[in-house]
Amino acid sequence: MSDDSDRKRRPDGGTATERNRGEELFADIDLRREHLKNRAFLGLIFAASMFGVVALALLLLDVVTDFYVGITEFEISLIQFFTVDGSRRPENAGFFGAIIASVMLMALTAVLSFFVGVGAAIYLEEYAPNNRITRLIKANLSNLAGVPSIVYGLLVLAALVNGIGVGPILLAGSVALALLVMPIIIVSAQEAIRAVPDGVRNGSYATGATKWQTIRQVVLPSAMPGILTGTILALARAIGETAPLLMVGALFVNRTPFGPFDRFSGMPTQIYAWAAEPSQHFIHLAAVGIVVLLTILLSMNAVAVYLRNKYETAV
Amino acid sequence: MAPSQRNPTRGITRRKSLATIAGVGAVAVAGCMGGNGGDEGGVAGTIDASGSNTVAPITSWAGENFAEEFPDVLVDVAPEGTGAGFQEFCRANSAVQSASREISDEEIALCEENDVDYDFLEVGLDGISVVKNSENDWMEEVTLDELRMVWEFDATGEITQWSDIRDEYPDEDLQLHARDSASGTFDYFTLEINGEVGDIRDDYSATSQTNEIMGAVAGDQYAFGWGGLGYLRDIEDDEPIEAVPVESDQDGEFYLPEQETIEEGTYSPLARPLFAFFNLASLEEEPELIGSFARFYANRAQEFARDEGFYAAPDEVTEQNHDKIDSWLESVGYSPDDLPVQRE
Repeated sequence: MSDDSDRKRRPDGGTATERNRGEELFADIDLRREHLKNRAFLGLIFAASMFGVVALALLLLDVVTDFYVGITEFEISLIQFFTVDGSRRPENAGFFGAIIASVMLMALTAVLSFFVGVGAAIYLEEYAPNNRITRLIKANLSNLAGVPSIVYGLLVLAALVNGIGVGPILLAGSVALALLVMPIIIVSAQEAIRAVPDGVRNGSYATGATKWQTIRQVVLPSAMPGILTGTILALARAIGETAPLLMVGALFVNRTPFGPFDRFSGMPTQIYAWAAEPSQHFIHLAAVGIVVLLTILLSMNAVAVYLRNKYETAV
Repeated sequence: MAPSQRNPTRGITRRKSLATIAGVGAVAVAGCMGGNGGDEGGVAGTIDASGSNTVAPITSWAGENFAEEFPDVLVDVAPEGTGAGFQEFCRANSAVQSASREISDEEIALCEENDVDYDFLEVGLDGISVVKNSENDWMEEVTLDELRMVWEFDATGEITQWSDIRDEYPDEDLQLHARDSASGTFDYFTLEINGEVGDIRDDYSATSQTNEIMGAVAGDQYAFGWGGLGYLRDIEDDEPIEAVPVESDQDGEFYLPEQETIEEGTYSPLARPLFAFFNLASLEEEPELIGSFARFYANRAQEFARDEGFYAAPDEVTEQNHDKIDSWLESVGYSPDDLPVQRE
């Protein structure tokens, strides 16, 4: 193709001297090679963008295969899986206690992190003056978001579990998770509040409303879908976290917790414990657990996306 | 700017969001009101157990059976390794400690420092298997000297190829896989084979998960390693991995780790007793709970050990265990006859 265009151009090239000069000028450029480079680069960046998709597909394939083998070869009964607690005997083991523990962890984490997080976001967006302290808080927040989750687990282990001596209870686990997701909730709530146009606030002030009335009755309701989306995504992250719960000290055989002061093992920690067992039966139980956990995570993400799309144009 | 148009949207949004918050709160409050019932003494409560990655399954299985009999009991077994477990046990953070070796001098000192008084039951026997890949057709047995040659500290960087062990073995790199220093298996192996606890070359792949060792050896023809026998038994039928017969320090013959050779004592030195240590202060605090568990464990240790792929300690050990429990209970002023679980 490049050769053709080259040849076509030449007859219109004018006098022989002009043509010569033009040929001299572009003599060192191999057009075919340039086009090839162009295509190679396109291929390279396309491969880069596909990398994540392929990795996810492979992961899903691996998990689903193990899940299928678990159901067929090891005859893992899904009914039993969802209704009984863990056991040392793989044929008697279930996931019920872990699911309940994870739901309770999520609820407590939501309560612990939501109000503080949204409160901090309101302060930072609506009240905080632009001074050094505010900038310090903001810098701190972005740093906190980058702290590895196991560090929060260690903090809670040292301060709560051993320090105060509450032991490895569910509440301690949810404190660790709440600390972990707090920065995410604050940042997403800040963004949602920032997205409320100033005109709406000014309209509220114009009717004589105070700042608090404006925030409570105008800003927060408009920002709430965004805040909730961020919170759900943050909780989805929390429910999948293993390291902080292991640090706090999760059970290795899950039992249904009856309150926040009971010992517990969440879904990820039970999967971790099963995956470390020598028996293949346990390893396939872990695969079934992963499918359950992934399903819950994906549906939480789907709810978040739905909320975002539904309210995207509301303001 | 048309606030009147937006108001309805806003109202719904806010109500919805408030409802969500209320819902979440209600779930949490419901959770809080659950409480953990059954603290009124008797056989109820939580027993914290730390210790060996190898022995934990036996203790955990004992705990599960115990909890089946006494539903208000939870036996929380954390399998962090014998060494790491003693660090917890000797700081009085756990009442029961599973151990795949005896307590070391440093750990005795740590326990004394924290006034932790303890004693142990012998709950079973384990074999340490020396493993190779099934594709490995050159190694038919291994002497104790050869094991030492490969694994001692001085082997670091020296014994790197199979041909360094015996000349007729291939000129291929050795891929070594074994437990890390947190484990009792590690301490036992280094003491029995290399002569000193912790004497090991520093260029092997160390892991805290024995099934990783087995998986690695099954996946590489030139791999060589060792680990708890139970882990080998679980995968040897499906994966290309097998045990290597090891020289016996009893009669110089080579034996495979099997129920017979281990319970007879000919698979030696790589068969070892497994222990459950009990904190006597915890026993004094809750004699019914801890005492019942100890008695229950001793009654059925042979069964639990075999269920978990280990080997039963001889009958006289069971008798010794029971006598020990009697003396513990008497020492804390509790009559063994009052115990809800009696000797079987």
